[in-house]
Amino acid sequence: MSAIPHDHAVGHAADHHDDHGHHPTGIMRWITTTNHKDIGTLYLLFSLTMFFVGGCMALTIRAELFQPGLQIVHPEFFNSLTTLHGLIMIFGAIMPAAVGFANWQVPLMIGAPDMAFARMNNWSFWLLPPAALMLVGSFFVPGGAAAGGWTLYPPLSVQAGMGMDLTIFAVHIMGASSIMGSINIITTILNMRAPGMTMMKMPLFVWTWLITAYLLIAVMPVLAGSVTMLLTDRHFGTSFFNAAGGGDPVLFQHVFWFFGHPEVYIMILPSFGIVSQIIPTFARKPLFGYASMVYAVASIAILSFIVWAHHMFTVGMPAAGLLFFMYATMLIAVPTGVKVFNWLATMWKGSMTFETPMLFAIGFLFLFTMGGFTGLVLALTPIDIQLQDTYYVVAHFHYVLVAGSLFAFFGGAYYWLPKWTGTMYNEKLGQWHFWCSMIFFNITFFPMHFLGVAGMPRRIPDYAQQFADWNMVATVGAFGFGLSQLIFVVALIKCIRGDGVKAPAKPWEGADTLEWTVPSPAPYHTFETPPVVQ
Amino acid sequence: MAAELRPEPAVDAPLRAANRRTALAVALIAVLFFVGVIAAQFVGDTAVGMSVVAAAVLLFLALAIGRNLRK
Repeated sequence: MSAIPHDHAVGHAADHHDDHGHHPTGIMRWITTTNHKDIGTLYLLFSLTMFFVGGCMALTIRAELFQPGLQIVHPEFFNSLTTLHGLIMIFGAIMPAAVGFANWQVPLMIGAPDMAFARMNNWSFWLLPPAALMLVGSFFVPGGAAAGGWTLYPPLSVQAGMGMDLTIFAVHIMGASSIMGSINIITTILNMRAPGMTMMKMPLFVWTWLITAYLLIAVMPVLAGSVTMLLTDRHFGTSFFNAAGGGDPVLFQHVFWFFGHPEVYIMILPSFGIVSQIIPTFARKPLFGYASMVYAVASIAILSFIVWAHHMFTVGMPAAGLLFFMYATMLIAVPTGVKVFNWLATMWKGSMTFETPMLFAIGFLFLFTMGGFTGLVLALTPIDIQLQDTYYVVAHFHYVLVAGSLFAFFGGAYYWLPKWTGTMYNEKLGQWHFWCSMIFFNITFFPMHFLGVAGMPRRIPDYAQQFADWNMVATVGAFGFGLSQLIFVVALIKCIRGDGVKAPAKPWEGADTLEWTVPSPAPYHTFETPPVVQ
Repeated sequence: MAAELRPEPAVDAPLRAANRRTALAVALIAVLFFVGVIAAQFVGDTAVGMSVVAAAVLLFLALAIGRNLRK
């Protein structure tokens, strides 16, 4: 994209909006802020906090699974941990991180002064902490936290204690937050682009977020509707999903996965966007096949609505249904393959350098492709029926979501930290973070493929003796992976404290989007006079 | 604490109106899905309900993205 700002506009932003004297300071700055950069920072810090909360749950799970037998936690608590780990990582860590990136970057990349609805933006964020408190606090209510898995399947979710009510309310609140955030992002992108920035000139990160926001608008209300029905089944005598009253528990699975599968792409599409910004920058070449990338993202989003039942091959459905969902699922590999091909073609014969963001982007590419391949394996109905609810599935979705979303987010964080903080991150720390994460991630999750194929079921605190060796390896890897993330915290703190080389406006020579035309750190107000994009 | 309010971003009235229209349309779609998924359980079996919702989603995406690509 040739996004060239009007010189006067850039100068204007630099001259008049780099003082910070016009806004509240201290805690009130963060509570009352309507500035997209502040709110983006809040989202990102919140998601990092929840990442460590969910990570501690994961480490407790892995500690319990270090050896066969019950060692550390009760089975009921173990089930709560697996449930809350999933909910917190999805709704508390990955999604808010993606929204944080959108808040920081979308207005900067399209030359808008702020999000379209700044006050609603503040509200969207501040709904999240109470919801997270409800989720985590549910451990302390009678009956403990929800323990039926993050999918909240009935009948367990209809019969569970008060922790399930807190979980349902938390999901409602986080859903409302996501919907408000999506409305804001869609409106901002459609109406507030700088003059000259047509849709097909938008950076790919903006495109992926526009499509993600549409996905959210379509599926979050479906999740809200399904958990509302769950709530009325629990407390108001309805029988949507309660078999005892004539309801159908399988119906919940259909409705849930109609939300759940697009949700996977809600988590991964912004990552695609981040990687699509990083790779051209460090390959020093324009993105190969920009238009096909946009169409591929749209195709993935549309296809994500017609594959939900591949999560439910074992519940029983007509052969025609099995075939349809199998082939539809495999079809998603086509636009995904287009994207992977285009990223590789962008790197082909490029003047590549391997700073930390590029390492994370390549790590993403390698590991996400592996996760995609195991997804293709699971798309095959006969194989899926064998592997349903085994550790193979656990390995698959962690390769997609940890190596996919998380690696891309770390890459994005290192890529934009100079713009956000005005300080270059410590490259050595970044490299250590990448290599430790890469090695320990694979030590943790690759053996789970073997465990799954050998038949180890997921969501159990105990297992047969023959699974012991690989579980031990996975646990060692998990603790290594967890500790590796502390390197990121150190690098982040150093950046925030300004402990490093001062970042120029454009620290990456291959970067060409609008955010690199404003000083580093980005002034509190930017683009109040819109730049002209040629 | 400096309590002085920040200057509002330079958003003109037509843009504010356009933003409100866009937001209203998107919010209505969200409400439609929320109400629709519950209401669908009363009017048909699973296949009918899910087909209606899925068709609505596809139509919405085709219209929303297609309309903007033509600009």
